[in-house]
Amino acid sequence: MRRDLGRHIYGYLVSAAFALFLFSPILWTLSTSLKQPTEMFQWPPVIVGEPSAQHYTAIIADKDFSSALINSIVVSCSTIILTMALSIPAAFGISHLQKTAMRRLLTLVLALRAAPAMIYIIPYFLFFRQVHLVDTKIALIIVNTMFAVPLAIWYLSAFFDQVPREIEEAAMIDGASTLQTMTLISIPIAKYGILATAILIFIGSWNEFLFALTLTRDDAKTAAVAILNFMPFEGTDWGKAAAACVLMLVPIVVFVPFVKKYVAGPTTTGSVKG
Amino acid sequence: MASSRPKVYSALVTPAIAFLCLATVVPIAAVIALSFGDFNIAFPEKTRFIRLYNYARFLSDGRFINAALVTFILVVVPVVLQLLCGLALAIALKENLVGTRWMRASFLLPSIIPPAVGGIVWKLFLIPGVGGLSYLASLFGHNFEADLLGSKTSALISVIIVSIWFGVPIVALLLLSSLDSIPDEIYEAANLDGASWAQAQWHISIPLVLPAMGAVAVFQALEVLGIFPVIFVLTGGGPAGATEPLNFYAFLTAFTYLDLDYSAAILVAFTTTIVGVCFWSIRQISATRVGR
Repeated sequence: MRRDLGRHIYGYLVSAAFALFLFSPILWTLSTSLKQPTEMFQWPPVIVGEPSAQHYTAIIADKDFSSALINSIVVSCSTIILTMALSIPAAFGISHLQKTAMRRLLTLVLALRAAPAMIYIIPYFLFFRQVHLVDTKIALIIVNTMFAVPLAIWYLSAFFDQVPREIEEAAMIDGASTLQTMTLISIPIAKYGILATAILIFIGSWNEFLFALTLTRDDAKTAAVAILNFMPFEGTDWGKAAAACVLMLVPIVVFVPFVKKYVAGPTTTGSVKG
Repeated sequence: MASSRPKVYSALVTPAIAFLCLATVVPIAAVIALSFGDFNIAFPEKTRFIRLYNYARFLSDGRFINAALVTFILVVVPVVLQLLCGLALAIALKENLVGTRWMRASFLLPSIIPPAVGGIVWKLFLIPGVGGLSYLASLFGHNFEADLLGSKTSALISVIIVSIWFGVPIVALLLLSSLDSIPDEIYEAANLDGASWAQAQWHISIPLVLPAMGAVAVFQALEVLGIFPVIFVLTGGGPAGATEPLNFYAFLTAFTYLDLDYSAAILVAFTTTIVGVCFWSIRQISATRVGR
């Protein structure tokens, strides 16, 4: 395209404005997490003073928060395994069904996901209370799996659609059963799609707040909720809250480039170029 | 060939669908049943059927009416602004200018961070006098010390801005993928005909992403009240209920006031309305598309 001044002015101006809007709160948190307590109240405020890791060492030493971090990791990874165990066969099956049956099932799956999470909170709370699973990781894993399965089926069935049918049919002609074809042929071919889906499930579970708040007390508390312990009502403890936020963001920041292509989800799957 | 084993494929699908139905349909049926009952968590055996009594309570509950209004504001205003800002950002990022590519790779971040973290991040940013906003203001020579979360109007505006912050990246990503799928030839043809870049955006990009925007709006309307954790951290619904939408009110009703049956009624009314409006909108959108 020919050079056009309007294009450059608009592009840079809007990008800069959004860069400021989208990233300045996060950068401020990063800065706060590295500040000395005395620098917090300095006027005019400073962005970097003398960096100090004291808040990080303090929250790692904090038993409640470090065990909550471990809980988050355990719950997220278990959710990935359970969701995959249910969704991979389902997505493989859906992708091999006839068009109308396939579309009907996918619509059903998506419709089941449409209700806001809040509608489930009372029945799940009462149910887990009845079976004495409140404050256990199992309860959180079940809930997170419930939210992850519909999306996982959507993504995975799109990835299985891309596996060349000729290769699967060749395997079947050679005598492979459907299950063998799935595990030995289709899953290895779709492995990057499965990995991307696993990352998305991890993020969903890592970020989950509502159920972690209501279904846990002490033992099974995840980091997304335990982080509230650092919220000072009055006072100077912002450094710890900021450091905890930064730790929570590490896996998300690492995963951003990998998920960008897929996170848009069912609404655009197929229309993404390249 | 592949369709010769449909039974096996159905068998593979069954466990996940059965789990999903069990995990969604049964709880929703339970909430609906609960909303028609008089239920006390300490004496569950004394539960009685009281028909629409819980729903009738809405009419005399000023806090419910306020929360319904806040819900309407916190769905409509952020979704509209997310779409406009998202479109503005998507058009800018589509150009792929030197120096903005890092943004293309990372702008999504606010949409995928834990919402509770987002709440704390914004709380730190808005601390009166010593927060990030005051720092930015001081760069421009202003002394900004207002407590934005302290008054009703500014707290509501703050929550709307944070909601836009959460939603813009995902909306921009969806619109960007729609913009990226417009063939370059169309722009080249417009360019040859003497159209400026701005004219090309106005007459090509915007009309071609408009259909996608309808779907994105519905998608966001369902997602936008997911900022519950942000409200929980940032304002706690206050001051004086100014930032308390129905899902927040229902949460407090259930877990602070332990009025589970009334909370169930609020949630049923809330969910039916929002899902109903969204499904109706999808219908309308696909009907106009077919009509073209």
